[in-house]
Amino acid sequence: MKHLIAVLLMGVPLALTAQNPVIRNQFTADPTARVFNNKVYLYPSHDIKPPVGQRQDWFCMEDYHVFSSENLTDWTDHGMIVTQNKVPWVRPNSYSMWAPDCVYRNGKYYFYFPSSPNAGGGFAVGVAIADRPEGPFIPEPEPIKGINGIDPCVLLASDGNAYIFWGNGRCAKLKDNMKELADDNPKSTVKFGNREMEMVGVNCLEGLPNRQAEGPFAFEYNGNYYLTYPYVRQNTEVLGYAMSKNPMGPYEYKGLIMAEHANGCWTNHHSIINYKGQWYLFYHHNDFSPSDDKRRSVCIDKLTFNADGTIQEVKPTMRGVGINKATEKIEIDRYSEASSDVKTELIDTINTFRSYQAALPKKGSWLRYNDIDFNCINNDAYMIISVKAAGNTSFAIREKSATGKVLAKITLDNIVPPETPNAPAGGMGGGMMGRFRRDMRGQWLTQTAALDYVPKGVTDLVITNEGDAEIAVDYVLFKNRPKYFSPSTAAPIAPDAEGFIHRWLLLEPINKPNSGNTVFTDSYLREHFNREYFKGQQTILPKDGQKVQAVFKQEQAPAGFGRGMGAQQAPAQPEVKTVKQTLTWHALDSENMNVKLFRFAEKWGEQVYGVLFWAVTIIDCPEEIKDVRLAVGSNSASMWWLNGEETLLLSGDRRMVKDDAMSSRITLKKGRNVLRGAIINGPGMSDFCVRFLDEKGNPVTNYSIINNK
Amino acid sequence: MKILRNIFAASALLVAATASAQSGQPFIHDPSTLAECDGKWYTFGTGGGGIITDDGWNWHSGAERPGGGAAPDMIKIGDRYLCIYGATGGGLGGGHAGRILTMWNKTLDPKSPDFKWSEGVEVCYSDGMEDQDAIDPGALLDPTTGRLWVSYGTYFGTIRLIELDPATGFRKSGNKEKDIAIDCEASDLIYRDGWYYLLGTHGTCCDGVNSTYNIVVGRSKSPEGPYIDNVGRDMYHGGGKMVIAAGDRKTGAGHFGRTIIDEGVEVMSFHWEADFDMGGRSTLAVRPLLWKNGWPVGGDQLKEGTYEIESERRGYALELAVDFVRMNVARAGGFGGFGGGQQANAAPPQPVAEQKLEDVISTWPSGNIPARIGDYMFRPHQKWTITAVPEAGGYLSNPYFKITIAGTDRALAATEDVEVTTVPSYTGAPEQLWRIEQLTDGTFRIMPKQIPGKEGINTKYVLYSAGDSTPTLAEYDFNSDNSKWNFRQH
Repeated sequence: MKHLIAVLLMGVPLALTAQNPVIRNQFTADPTARVFNNKVYLYPSHDIKPPVGQRQDWFCMEDYHVFSSENLTDWTDHGMIVTQNKVPWVRPNSYSMWAPDCVYRNGKYYFYFPSSPNAGGGFAVGVAIADRPEGPFIPEPEPIKGINGIDPCVLLASDGNAYIFWGNGRCAKLKDNMKELADDNPKSTVKFGNREMEMVGVNCLEGLPNRQAEGPFAFEYNGNYYLTYPYVRQNTEVLGYAMSKNPMGPYEYKGLIMAEHANGCWTNHHSIINYKGQWYLFYHHNDFSPSDDKRRSVCIDKLTFNADGTIQEVKPTMRGVGINKATEKIEIDRYSEASSDVKTELIDTINTFRSYQAALPKKGSWLRYNDIDFNCINNDAYMIISVKAAGNTSFAIREKSATGKVLAKITLDNIVPPETPNAPAGGMGGGMMGRFRRDMRGQWLTQTAALDYVPKGVTDLVITNEGDAEIAVDYVLFKNRPKYFSPSTAAPIAPDAEGFIHRWLLLEPINKPNSGNTVFTDSYLREHFNREYFKGQQTILPKDGQKVQAVFKQEQAPAGFGRGMGAQQAPAQPEVKTVKQTLTWHALDSENMNVKLFRFAEKWGEQVYGVLFWAVTIIDCPEEIKDVRLAVGSNSASMWWLNGEETLLLSGDRRMVKDDAMSSRITLKKGRNVLRGAIINGPGMSDFCVRFLDEKGNPVTNYSIINNK
Repeated sequence: MKILRNIFAASALLVAATASAQSGQPFIHDPSTLAECDGKWYTFGTGGGGIITDDGWNWHSGAERPGGGAAPDMIKIGDRYLCIYGATGGGLGGGHAGRILTMWNKTLDPKSPDFKWSEGVEVCYSDGMEDQDAIDPGALLDPTTGRLWVSYGTYFGTIRLIELDPATGFRKSGNKEKDIAIDCEASDLIYRDGWYYLLGTHGTCCDGVNSTYNIVVGRSKSPEGPYIDNVGRDMYHGGGKMVIAAGDRKTGAGHFGRTIIDEGVEVMSFHWEADFDMGGRSTLAVRPLLWKNGWPVGGDQLKEGTYEIESERRGYALELAVDFVRMNVARAGGFGGFGGGQQANAAPPQPVAEQKLEDVISTWPSGNIPARIGDYMFRPHQKWTITAVPEAGGYLSNPYFKITIAGTDRALAATEDVEVTTVPSYTGAPEQLWRIEQLTDGTFRIMPKQIPGKEGINTKYVLYSAGDSTPTLAEYDFNSDNSKWNFRQH
């Protein structure tokens, strides 16, 4: 059963999208990255907040997780692989599962980890073995004999041997079984006070800058062996490295890979891989625990070799590595570059995993985030940005530079509440809105904006503060809009399996202000649907793109739509204007059974609320079909004519409910039948669904719907 | 004087309203599912606060919830309360970009030293562009799996389902939202007997007495749907079976919440958009929730009036243990009216007057008269008048009632030896006050407020059929028809 649970846990991987730090929902430290099967696997140690009874100001680690990624931005947490109280030789509740490593050899994955043994005496190093990089790992019952120390790293050298490094730079050869030290390792006797101890292997950092050295990571590149390691140069750790022609040295010190952490985080610990031709440094920093450097998080930055094989020093970045898909949640506060006045800080100092925000204090402040891939974005996309503001202001999202092309400009004019909160603010239900108008200063808002310009390929985004108040940003992402319609195809189509008609000729909406759905009484609808808005309203068989001139009387409704407290009621004698609109018919196939007129109006109409739609569909019946009923659901009221005869009226405050109303029994004649509808809408999301049902309530599907080309 | 008259008018209004609606100041919009904390019930509405009742009937303001926003739901998980609410959205405050947040508290009592809300954590959002509106959450802690589900959304797009981690109130890792309904809002999820139910609110809100809000339901074998109505229609296609709509001078039922009081005793909380007896204001309603053929059905508020109290056990009627007084009406038309053919020329039949109270009352003893159960003959000793006693307080769904023989002041009362009797005059003593609750099967349980000699409010003993003819008080048992009664007017 226990085994089953472990498998189940691994079966529910958690996807994370990340910049630096890369794992954003838990602490991770001492990262060993390895490339297996063209994927990067990350084996960090797992810092936790110490439970009660444990030393609160010390490292605390009870288990290991493994993560994987193919692009270094999306990380999957495969869950826990080894935990302290399931390893026979580990002292229970010692919380000392420190820096691990994992290598692949002879068809198996060998996971090396240090911990505090039952037997006492500092640290030992054990092995757990698996068939797959994410486990399940079975720990060996005993630790490796001859290793007393922490931070194992295994080098699979081109000489065919496996070497294990640990502690302050000691190295020994492993047997082929990967579980024991080789018998031919050099041995030396070291005195600890009056106790003599046999040490296996050699200390590769003897005589090199090695104060408090630990966390050795060895690798081979271009005929050189590199021994890289944290040590204390002044007060806290740096990452240094040494080179040799032999795995076990002697090594020559070459310099720094990374300097001390600027914020005083005492430790650093790292690994280096080449993935798809690029070298990367994995290291850690206490981003999510700035006041406690024993809770750390893994970061990645690119690493570059000089021609002579030496390594260029790596500056830690917030941006990290990898290309973000534009549809990912991109933590834009982890910027690549910014004006000097931009500041980052934790959003929430208690729940630190809410991560960071970047503040752009004034007009002209900017930040740039590199490498966002827009290949997944179409021209109908929009942007979402999480932002807060100190007052009413505006900002822009640009491409590449602070003066680059504008994707969207967002004006925040609702941040400061109006002085009289109950005053109608215009638009729908002004009074109601007024009640909900709150002081939005300093509140996180999710802002959306259609894109004025859609970048192509991989590019950089820049946020610029263009207003008079400070803004702070958290994340940005882009979304493609769902497809509601596609142009009608040339060939006739059938109704869907449930009989719904997806093909319609829709006329761009007529502006029809009204004071809400409750005015759609039977007499109102008969009067207003039977008025002439354009010539041939009841006879036209429109073609795609055909235009009509609508000229009609328009009763002016109040600005608010009646609903809501304090909203104005429609006047008894509304002002009447004569309105002209040039409207186009569109031949469309709806993606859904419900034809989303709201989205049609949004794309092609002047307004989405207070509108009247005309819809026509042309049905071709191979035979006469008797005794069927027209079944309609519509938001809001609608009226339907089959072959010029009034067939169905849905009055009042309607919703799009399948089979809401039925006509009396009618006949679909052989050949062409024209179904015409008018749908009127108040303040809701207008849509409708139409089908024919037979006497038994089964859908009628034996006809086709033609495109009136 | 004018002011004084207004006060009189207001108090008269309250008295008139108490029998058919929650009393006190039950003013709320978008109430959360009732939550109990230290013997009090709480519900939270749109805006910042909420209302509290000590007894289940009289409501007053004073519940506190930070974060503002709209339409919270409240659920007790372990020993903590999880509040889940929408910040903006719903077309309020300018659009359909909304966020749903959760926050915890150890208590709902603002006066408790433990009263401290955790900081709100976002669990989902709508971006304002999509067919989605992150507002109006309703939570279900699945009793079979311990998983925590939340439905949310409005007419602006779909009703969506998400899963939270019940230990943290955060969104469950890797959970993807699922669309489960359209064309409704203010949804809620409940579970009963192998079925998951999605309650949605149809119609129009916020239009006062013209609001058409009504609550409909679909059900599914899985919390993830599909939720199908009684004619096989998916709520994703607009389906839904009515649970409660306008009536009793109230319009606009919305924002369902279910509360289980006891086995077979359930209530639903919701708001009326407009209570005609409360100036058209939006008020809290707590009504019995019944179950018929696996569907939730809104019960009615018990109306004052004169009834037969019929035992579910045998179908006999609760009555005074007095002599049956025969009615001296001559049998017309031969033997019991048979043989009509022989009486072809007789006069048409005339109505027979019923037995009147004054015909029999003099035969009744003057002191306490025990209660009995017997054949219902619509006689005066079998007719009981149910009258609300609002000043005695109440419980969820009703005020306490007195139960008196019609036309008299003789009142049904509990006795110290845990039996029932009638006292000649109603005095307002707690053993003469009765808690009447409609059970999920449509029958009622009838419970004295207090039993003489027993401490505190009685929540255990009900009027009970010891035998077909013998009433007593005994522990409530939903699985026994002895505990159940019907109020019939016939």
